[in-house]
Amino acid sequence: MNQHSTITSSYSGLRSISMLPLARSFVTVVLSTVVLIIVCSIFAPSSVSLGALEGSLPFAAVIAIVGLGQLLVVQQGGFDLSLPGAVSLAVVVSTHYPQQDNSLLPMAVVVALGFALVAGVINGILVSIFNLNAIIATIGVNALLYGAVFAVSGGVPSITTTLLAEIAGGTTFGIPNSVFFAAAALMVVSFMLKKTVMGRRFEAIGANPLAAQAVGLQVRRHQMMAYVLAQLLYCMAGILISGITREPTAFQGDTLLLPSVAVVVLGGTSLLGGRGYPISTVIAAFFLNQLSQFALAVGVPYSAQTIIQALALGFGIGVYSVRWTGNSSKQTKNVKMEDTNDLQVS
Amino acid sequence: MKIVAAKKLIVKANDADAPVSGDVTIALTNISKFYSGVPALRDVSVEFYAGEVHAILGENGAGKSTLMNVMSGTIFPELGDVTFEGKRVTNMSPEIAASLGISISFQHPAILEDLSVLENLQVALPAALFAGQSAQAVAQKMLDAVGLHIPLRTRADELTVAEKHLLEIAKALAINPKVLILDEPTASLDQDATDMLFGRIRDVVKRGTSVVYITHRLAEIRQIAQRVTVLRDGRKRGTGLVKDFSDAEILAMIVGRTLGSAFPPKSKNTATESAFSVVQLGGKGFSGVSFDMTRGQIIGVAGVAGNGQSELMRALAGLQSSTGTIKLDGLNLKSKELLQEAAFMPSDRHSEGLASGLSVRENASFAALEKFTTNGIMSQKKELSGVAATFGSLAVKTASLEAPILSLSGGNQQKVVMTRALLSDPRIIIADEPTQGVDVGARAEIYRILREVSDKGTPVIVNSSDAAELEGLCDKVIVLSRGRVVDTLIGADVKEAHIVAAAVNAHGHADEGGTANGVKATGGWRHFLQSDNAPAVPLSLVIILLGLFVFSQNTNFLSVFNIYNILMLATALGFIAMGQTVALLMGGIDLSVGPLVGFLVVVASFFINDDKSVATIAMGFALMFALAFAVGAINGILIRFANFTAIAATLAVYVALQGMSFLLRDQPDGYINARVVELVTWQWGPLPVAFIILVIFAVVGEYLLRQSKLGWQLRATGSDEESARRIGVWTDGTFVGGYILSSLLTACGAIMLMTQIGVGDPRQGVNYTLASITAVVLGGTSLRGGRGTFIGTVLGAVLLTEVLNTVTFLGLTQTYQYIFQGLLIIAAALIYSTVRRSAEA
Repeated sequence: MNQHSTITSSYSGLRSISMLPLARSFVTVVLSTVVLIIVCSIFAPSSVSLGALEGSLPFAAVIAIVGLGQLLVVQQGGFDLSLPGAVSLAVVVSTHYPQQDNSLLPMAVVVALGFALVAGVINGILVSIFNLNAIIATIGVNALLYGAVFAVSGGVPSITTTLLAEIAGGTTFGIPNSVFFAAAALMVVSFMLKKTVMGRRFEAIGANPLAAQAVGLQVRRHQMMAYVLAQLLYCMAGILISGITREPTAFQGDTLLLPSVAVVVLGGTSLLGGRGYPISTVIAAFFLNQLSQFALAVGVPYSAQTIIQALALGFGIGVYSVRWTGNSSKQTKNVKMEDTNDLQVS
Repeated sequence: MKIVAAKKLIVKANDADAPVSGDVTIALTNISKFYSGVPALRDVSVEFYAGEVHAILGENGAGKSTLMNVMSGTIFPELGDVTFEGKRVTNMSPEIAASLGISISFQHPAILEDLSVLENLQVALPAALFAGQSAQAVAQKMLDAVGLHIPLRTRADELTVAEKHLLEIAKALAINPKVLILDEPTASLDQDATDMLFGRIRDVVKRGTSVVYITHRLAEIRQIAQRVTVLRDGRKRGTGLVKDFSDAEILAMIVGRTLGSAFPPKSKNTATESAFSVVQLGGKGFSGVSFDMTRGQIIGVAGVAGNGQSELMRALAGLQSSTGTIKLDGLNLKSKELLQEAAFMPSDRHSEGLASGLSVRENASFAALEKFTTNGIMSQKKELSGVAATFGSLAVKTASLEAPILSLSGGNQQKVVMTRALLSDPRIIIADEPTQGVDVGARAEIYRILREVSDKGTPVIVNSSDAAELEGLCDKVIVLSRGRVVDTLIGADVKEAHIVAAAVNAHGHADEGGTANGVKATGGWRHFLQSDNAPAVPLSLVIILLGLFVFSQNTNFLSVFNIYNILMLATALGFIAMGQTVALLMGGIDLSVGPLVGFLVVVASFFINDDKSVATIAMGFALMFALAFAVGAINGILIRFANFTAIAATLAVYVALQGMSFLLRDQPDGYINARVVELVTWQWGPLPVAFIILVIFAVVGEYLLRQSKLGWQLRATGSDEESARRIGVWTDGTFVGGYILSSLLTACGAIMLMTQIGVGDPRQGVNYTLASITAVVLGGTSLRGGRGTFIGTVLGAVLLTEVLNTVTFLGLTQTYQYIFQGLLIIAAALIYSTVRRSAEA
């Protein structure tokens, strides 16, 4: 204990926000990304050319946004398998409803957001009020969302509106607009988590719901909020996809489920819940997307992309599991054992 | 050995009428055990004689449990020897202990709640015990021996705590042990059950068993034990024949430990106005508790651990419902209001006190965040100065406010919890074991802080299993035994000896849930309703009714062709869902089954073609199963040995398999051998032969699940991994094996799917993940693990297929396929969870 300096009133000297808790995952993911960019520029320079980035960044942005949504749910110890249906529904609503009529687009966006709210509330009620297993509840809601997808689209793709293509698919100062959307989503999520009472409670509840319950926080309400906000983010991602892709399919969300989980894990958030790292998650989205680009550039067939994602997920868990052992049951038990032992000799 | 012999002589010399003590069964010599340098046992030597009850006495933390764990091989001492029947045992482990005939009844019974009473006995005891005669008869004898009168097929979660203890004791007695260790066996038993237990103990002692009886209750020792050893601070304070000691002498050996930390002066406040009072408070674990306190007083709650103190504390903090009156500053408070007004310091810091992922600052502030805002936005400045100010007055030692909370010492962690409590401006402080796991120096500071808070007028209530601590800290102490106040000590009477005497001399017995016969004998029908297979009835009804309804709309629905068609589709799903059932039974999930089935079909499409030889085709089948085996092993190993959650592991495998399918075939190709298709789709009346095979699989699987050691172990692991390990189940192996089994069953499904699509198509199969989980949930398998049924799963698969078929028959769009599927799974999950919750209530 001697190595701890006794701090009394000098606490105020520590005003600068220390990056300690953030540092680990942040450093890991930034370093990996830098290494990847270096590797790319040596072995597949085409994948980091400006043109290639302009083409691939929108997809990274979409992954970042769904990743942020999944992050909120995972942080509360949940898991959201309704992401594919949610994204697909937002895609078909924002393409089928206006049928290339720009004036109908705002209404379409409102309708899509309405669907997202409803889906989020249903997920939240099933998980936090009825205590259903998050996987089962979100699998069921995913099926319902796909029901809606078919009701809206009949399963066939529709061409996107020019307005949406301009907004979501265009560029500003040479940067794809979708990147700005992702940045905005990141800022909102980060601000909410770090700077609002609600967000800070949300983090505490995710880190230990029992401790939060013991001080009288509204655990269920916050858990429910996670599912609603996640749906809104999925909806945003879906609408962006409609703008980025000329003729998006009705199953656009299917390929996003694993990347959403992978970036959450690569960003350093434990799948068992706890603190979430929004910035790292967004960087991880860029990393994952760039990894795919690199693989394509060096000639890995497109069909093998998912294998790379699976490996990335495995790698992420492998890297952080060393660090996150504090969450695994075995380690917790050891901690508890020591405690009781202390007690026995006290 | 010389000393032992000498002692034995003494025993015989001055104790003519005592039961004849045999030889030393187990002897501990100079045992020392340290935990991170701190001794838990110091140089303890005890001999246990055959045919004798030897009581081990001591306060909480005196070293009793450590001693017991050394004997049962759960922990290994740093110094000293364990000698069993004269032979030194150098590598004592739970397995060796069991083989030597050392059996133990844990204070917290290792009972698996999802298994029946009979299965609990069968999974824990060696099969040899049940050989020769019917298992029921053997098990019934074991229950009769402890006076436990409950039907063998009762699920263990319906047992009362007392019944679970008796079942635990029955298990320990069943193997006719040479050494029987009983850890607080009567804690939850009523008078009759205690008398019965003592009778049983006397029986086994007559047969020469050496009984080690760990207890807190002085009165019981006189009733049952011949010899007693008292531990204090990890040292042996005395040993000898019970009749040679007076109660006062034994008590003197128990108490009087050195504390080493200073206490603040007690309250000088002479106010008489009541600040906080409780009248006739009752709830789970305690009843009829009344006390009141004036401003400036600290009240202590004492008693032997587990006598309702922690429940009382939770009720006072508003975390547990209670009846009776709680008055704070003259106002009645309900539980909900208490939760807001009271600051609770939990005894289990790690599970309930600390958010381990957060920093020191965040841990300190999360109960009072609204204090640190400017216009609704968190102000870092306010937060830092607020936390720092309290840290200063509590002398919290931390390297930085942003340090991880777990980097702090136990004492400083506890001070962070106190900081959180104080920052929330509580009107009362409820501290449950505030110095547990806290070093001596920090203890004194915690006492000082509690006293300061109390002096400022906030009532403080402290629960502690450490009587000396209560003596030093409190102005008033209430002593609980079996949930009731047995003594209230005030002022000068607040002495360790008085507290311990009140706690250990209490004669009361549990009067709530203590009866040994809480479960009524149930009829066959009622029993069936509670069984895992109960959902089969409503499921079958729904299947038939839905069939009749669609038949009334379209008579072709029940044509031979359509029935065959539905059952054929249900067979593929049924096999895969059986695999999924195995995963859910273990409390896991297997998301990879869908892509696996697709992948295996793609693999098959390279080998099982029209132009291939029989050998190649056979190889194709073998390869399918080999690959399934490998995938299952990867799932299991990732989950058990690489820290993956079940979802993460199987999701990663899910995506990888999808990629592999596309690597092997980017377009549908490779037509499946027509002869093979013909064989697999063989029809018998309206029934596919494959479906009959599926039913046989389900019935055999169901039998194995309930009647074989492997089945019990699988369910035990899913039900409660920790208890399963304690009774000797190899849980890691069970998990990996379970995931392999899941994949192999999926391979059977792949053979069915292969004949249905007839070609290697990389896009097929993925939907089976969702469908299999839906079928299993419909079938009534619990998502929490431990409970499930293959028969229900098969019915679930049939129902799901029927519903999807109905959609096409009624001319509905694909929209309804998805919506029905979604509604089915949510409705089933809601219904089953509601039914279970009401059954548990």
